[in-house]
Amino acid sequence: MGTSFLKGIRVIALTWVWAGPWMGAVLADMGAEVIKIETKQRLDSQRVLNITTDPNGGLNHGQFNITNRGVKSCTLNLKQPKGKELFKKLVKISDLVITNFAPRVMPDLGLDYNALKDVKPDIILVSLPAFGNTGPDKDYVSYGSTIEAVGGLSASFGYPGEAPALSSIYPADPIGGMYGVVGAVAALNYRNKTGKGQHVDVAQSEGITTLIPEVIMEYVMNGGIQPCMGNRDEIMAPHGCYPCKGEDKWVAIAISTDQEWKALCRVIGNPDWSEDERFSDQFSRWQNQDELNKLIAGWTKDLTHYDVMNKLQKAGVAAGGSLNIEEIINDRHFKERGVFITQNHPAAGKTIVYRSPWTSALTADNPPAPLLGEHNNYVFKELLGMTDVQITELMETKVIY
Amino acid sequence: MFYKVLDGVKIVEYGHLISAPFCAKILADLGAEVIKIEDPDFGDDARRQGPFLKNIPGAERSGLFQYLNMNKLGITLNTGMSTGKKIFGALLKNADIFIENNPPKRMKELELTYKFVKQINPRIVMTSITPFGQTGPYKDYKSCELVNTHFGGVGYISIREGDISKEPLKYPAHFFSFQGGLSAAAATLGAFYHQNVTGLGTQLDVSEQESIIQNLNSPISHYSYSKHIASRTDVKSHAPFHILPCKDGYIYAAFVEESEWRRFIDVMGHPDWADSELFKDYSTRALYWDALKPLMLEWTMEHTVEEIYRSSQEKGIPLGAVRTADQVLKDKQMAARGFFIEVEHRENGKLKYPGVPYKFSEIQQETPVAAPLLGQHNEDIYCKRLGYTKHDMDKLKEAGVI
Repeated sequence: MGTSFLKGIRVIALTWVWAGPWMGAVLADMGAEVIKIETKQRLDSQRVLNITTDPNGGLNHGQFNITNRGVKSCTLNLKQPKGKELFKKLVKISDLVITNFAPRVMPDLGLDYNALKDVKPDIILVSLPAFGNTGPDKDYVSYGSTIEAVGGLSASFGYPGEAPALSSIYPADPIGGMYGVVGAVAALNYRNKTGKGQHVDVAQSEGITTLIPEVIMEYVMNGGIQPCMGNRDEIMAPHGCYPCKGEDKWVAIAISTDQEWKALCRVIGNPDWSEDERFSDQFSRWQNQDELNKLIAGWTKDLTHYDVMNKLQKAGVAAGGSLNIEEIINDRHFKERGVFITQNHPAAGKTIVYRSPWTSALTADNPPAPLLGEHNNYVFKELLGMTDVQITELMETKVIY
Repeated sequence: MFYKVLDGVKIVEYGHLISAPFCAKILADLGAEVIKIEDPDFGDDARRQGPFLKNIPGAERSGLFQYLNMNKLGITLNTGMSTGKKIFGALLKNADIFIENNPPKRMKELELTYKFVKQINPRIVMTSITPFGQTGPYKDYKSCELVNTHFGGVGYISIREGDISKEPLKYPAHFFSFQGGLSAAAATLGAFYHQNVTGLGTQLDVSEQESIIQNLNSPISHYSYSKHIASRTDVKSHAPFHILPCKDGYIYAAFVEESEWRRFIDVMGHPDWADSELFKDYSTRALYWDALKPLMLEWTMEHTVEEIYRSSQEKGIPLGAVRTADQVLKDKQMAARGFFIEVEHRENGKLKYPGVPYKFSEIQQETPVAAPLLGQHNEDIYCKRLGYTKHDMDKLKEAGVI
């Protein structure tokens, strides 16, 4: 279920892979009309990579359908002068242009912020480069993983005392994308008040750093470098992930007060070791956490992770299973909250997507991700008033392409 | 503030630790006026979380608190008392936005649920952030960064090419709590835009768990189409796509295009083994990664992070330096963009903090103001805004209201 906050706002998206398209999807989720400009000259790699349900290798592959949910698609070749002209016509009737292409791409196409301003003086351009649109490393290339490394996240992600671990999720993209949404909507509010547009330049690497201030401030304030801590905490103990019944089943438990510690002991059945001096207060529990963790694991290993979670939560202790994707999608809480939605995608069939992490009474629908050029008629005929003949000609000359 | 984008926007913040304060910080940094309400005796719990200046704890010395609450006005208020509730109501009446992250039960006790708040101010946008949301069987469950990370699905698949006999991992510090606050800020701005256009308010029910789920695009689509359950033992189809040790640290060599690998071979001085059939494309390299890795290490261990990072990027190779905090602070790209900023605090002096990750072309950048001392703006708000006299204020203080 989407929301209708940005009803009436039109966004032109020059986006590919993840951060940019994802930003477009969130804006679409908020009720904006987002038109993604694609071209057969260079398909969004998410249309090409990954898994597919179409045995003929059709143009609708897995991840694209989550990353681009709710967005419209038209094909337009911006390398052609006529393509640029049509693009500018679209800008003239839009509020926002968003992009995550490398910094030189828009200027190279003659479509930088100044060019867009000439077309529409109050246009808002939001770019999501990896390292920023300015600066000595602005043209550095990256994938999400390298952005996280440069931003300072990777260095302290890992098991205690071990080297940095290989992460399998790449949060730089959704974080950059969400900062893009913040910048875009803030700029829209500013425009409504002042009549002025904006170029909002969001550096994804800086986005990562803003989410780990403790790591930075540990150095600024104390000259300290945060080591890899795994599931451990600076001072809380027990604080970790414990093995449960079944293969690769774990439960996370975090104790922050003596009261919670007593509750944990009670739930476990007040074993002898709960009276041990080594675990008598927070500090001593933290000091002896290795031993303590083994003892707690002795209890959790015979229970399912949901069992442990529910028993401990009932006693006022923070606990939750380490859920795999099947468990999350089928979890009764997320189901009741309608977090996952099964869409009927015209080519790929049943597609599971999620709604944005907020709900409001101001609801709107979530359409599926678009087929390549699915909305060409809507964009060129309805929005730009072109005729069938004109459109066909531009398809033949590889402008609408 | 950093940029006067949201000039004139009035926000009341009432919460602890990270998600609500970060949501409000993002808006304060963009010029909104944020009045942060804290408990008179203890203040925000973040005041008691490190890192602390010179490792000495203190209510004004927490780096986490200082970062989260710069650019805000701080007042103390006992929301449990009836006078406190009245004052809260007066503050909400004049606000455009109300941001909070208290347990739903607590808000009910305080009579500060949306039902009450919208009676005081029908057009207000109320952003309520909780781990599990305002509804559902787990709405009253307790959580924290660790539990959110694991229940939200990131923990289980946190690493790849791993060993499932080892526990799944959480991410550093409070990374996902911050992401929750960021998601809330985006939603708040959307609802605020709507409020400006229509005059209508709304409550935003923001869930930190659901915010974490946003990172699971790939596992979701894999499960959706092929019922594959992503696991920590999954191996990527590409190699190298790995962190490698070098002389003085680590680099992240993440290559997708064949041309990227070809250029990297040149950077490594085209060693003989590079022409082997075993390593001819990304899939064979993935298959024979155990053979390839030690060969690459022979070269990387002879060179520094900076050397490898710069010489690779000069050739358009998407390799990253795995930076520690000191290196991030020295990064010349971030320095050129003025990303780190110095904030002056009346007790802590001048300290460097991460700034904001965006630039607004048509708006001048401003100087950020330090986080408030506990109750620092009591007089400004209670006397100058709400019309209490100094004498009233002393009485309120004595009675424990502020």
